[in-house]
Amino acid sequence: MKNSDLLTGIGHDLMQGNLNDDKLTARTRESQSVQILPEAVVIKIGGQSIIDRGRAAVMPILNELVQNLGKHKMIIGTGAGTRARHAYSVGADLGMPTGVMSVLGTFVSMQNARMIHYLMAKHGIPFIEPVQFPQLPLYLAERHAVIFFGMPPYTFWQRNPTVGNIPPHRTDTGSYLISEVFACKNMIYIKDEDGLYTNDPKKDPNAKFIPEITVQELIDMNLDDVVVEREVLKMMLNAENSRSIQIINGLKPGNITRALNGEKVGTIIKVG
Amino acid sequence: MENKDKRFHMSSFLMRESLLDDRVLEGTLKAETPTVRMLPDVRVIKIGSSSIVDRGKSAVYPLMDVCAQMLKEHRIIFGCGGGARSKHVFSVGVDLGLPTGVLAQISVADALGNAHILGTLLAQHGVVAIPPEIFGHLLPLFINTVPGGIFNRVPPYSNWEHPPKIGRIPPHRSDAGCFILGECFGVDSVILVKDVDGLYTKDPKDHDDAVFIPEATASEVEAMNLETLPFDRVLLDILKTNRLMKQFQIVNGLKPELVARAAKGEHVGTIIRADQ
Repeated sequence: MKNSDLLTGIGHDLMQGNLNDDKLTARTRESQSVQILPEAVVIKIGGQSIIDRGRAAVMPILNELVQNLGKHKMIIGTGAGTRARHAYSVGADLGMPTGVMSVLGTFVSMQNARMIHYLMAKHGIPFIEPVQFPQLPLYLAERHAVIFFGMPPYTFWQRNPTVGNIPPHRTDTGSYLISEVFACKNMIYIKDEDGLYTNDPKKDPNAKFIPEITVQELIDMNLDDVVVEREVLKMMLNAENSRSIQIINGLKPGNITRALNGEKVGTIIKVG
Repeated sequence: MENKDKRFHMSSFLMRESLLDDRVLEGTLKAETPTVRMLPDVRVIKIGSSSIVDRGKSAVYPLMDVCAQMLKEHRIIFGCGGGARSKHVFSVGVDLGLPTGVLAQISVADALGNAHILGTLLAQHGVVAIPPEIFGHLLPLFINTVPGGIFNRVPPYSNWEHPPKIGRIPPHRSDAGCFILGECFGVDSVILVKDVDGLYTKDPKDHDDAVFIPEATASEVEAMNLETLPFDRVLLDILKTNRLMKQFQIVNGLKPELVARAAKGEHVGTIIRADQ
């Protein structure tokens, strides 16, 4: 077979070579990366931190998001939260494999996405499942926002965690990967704390706020507890597009708008 | 119930805890509850796509004859990746600057095609390609109804594929899809059918002095720092966190009788084990 007329240089070598050859695959990053949705912002609404608090926390946040329709294109992911913890604790006790735990977490994240969707429905904002992502650009152009469930669709193919049995790739990771693959301009996590602390501020009154940090510094600090899933940090180290994330306190009015406008209102974690 | 921290909780041992806290996570793998093995007597056999299917009849038909015999004795989940067509679509996609999550999504179609080819060849035994949307949930039903099933082993990571450390090629390809599936369902064994006897110190197709390695641990393979491997590199990482599947075997499908022996539990190729 004569490939040389039809294929690029790297194409020819890929066809002949082995995809496990690092020298060969390193060349696959040489081409300019396409920025698929560079004007969009991915926003993750926390499960336990926001949605489980109900009306008092959720309604002001949704109102603020609605006020920003037309000014920003928002891909809004939902966390899971309390019911996922319950399912994970029952699942751990019954010896469920991690892949099954992942399915359980997906269901809870989907419940939250559907609830947020009905609250935003009058503004014409759709909820999309992973198979509907090809329609995402249309919805963003027409309605400026979509809701999706934050869990990545790994289900039974979720890899085991290093420690314990809770799926390591949850809604923080699923939302982050959307910001990476579509090269979105911002990844904003709406939680109920001002950002990253040296320890869980809900339990340790001496925990110190960290306004900005690099991924490597954060990994080196080896904190017992961090504000985003550790897998997000690992993904960021390899990322081509989404190299900075912000964690903000959604319970403080105005924070979301300011973060959408590119202001620093919480903790920025970035690749150094 | 509302608590001191003003958040609502449901009573469970994870209530009020951070799922991002390693101290909490350690408690979620309870020593007294072993992970459920859903399909402990099932073999997962990955038929290499570049290495076997793309060679056509001369390689595939003899292997299918052996598979037909094996199905009388074992229940088997077969699968395959996309082979040469995935490499081609990767090369076009890379040239167009498409990101890893798009390459992963697009390459599934090639694996689906190969799954249907194998399904056609094994149809007379009741073994068909099962659509990925229903495969996971219905696998225990299928495998108790017919002796085997086929799936496209590219895992459903799609747009959510992890950006790799090197390059843009999706790291979770068909070897990973079958190994993670084997772990989740707690199967008997995972066998990767390729066109070499197993792992060598160098690619045996290009080097006459390549030395065969009958078994090795994940760390040993990493320490060898080999330029190419006959399996997807991510399997070494997956081995480190697996609780049930502590090894996989690479077998030469051009010698089909070896696949049957591997399914019986014999060591006929290279066994890669988790570190102990």
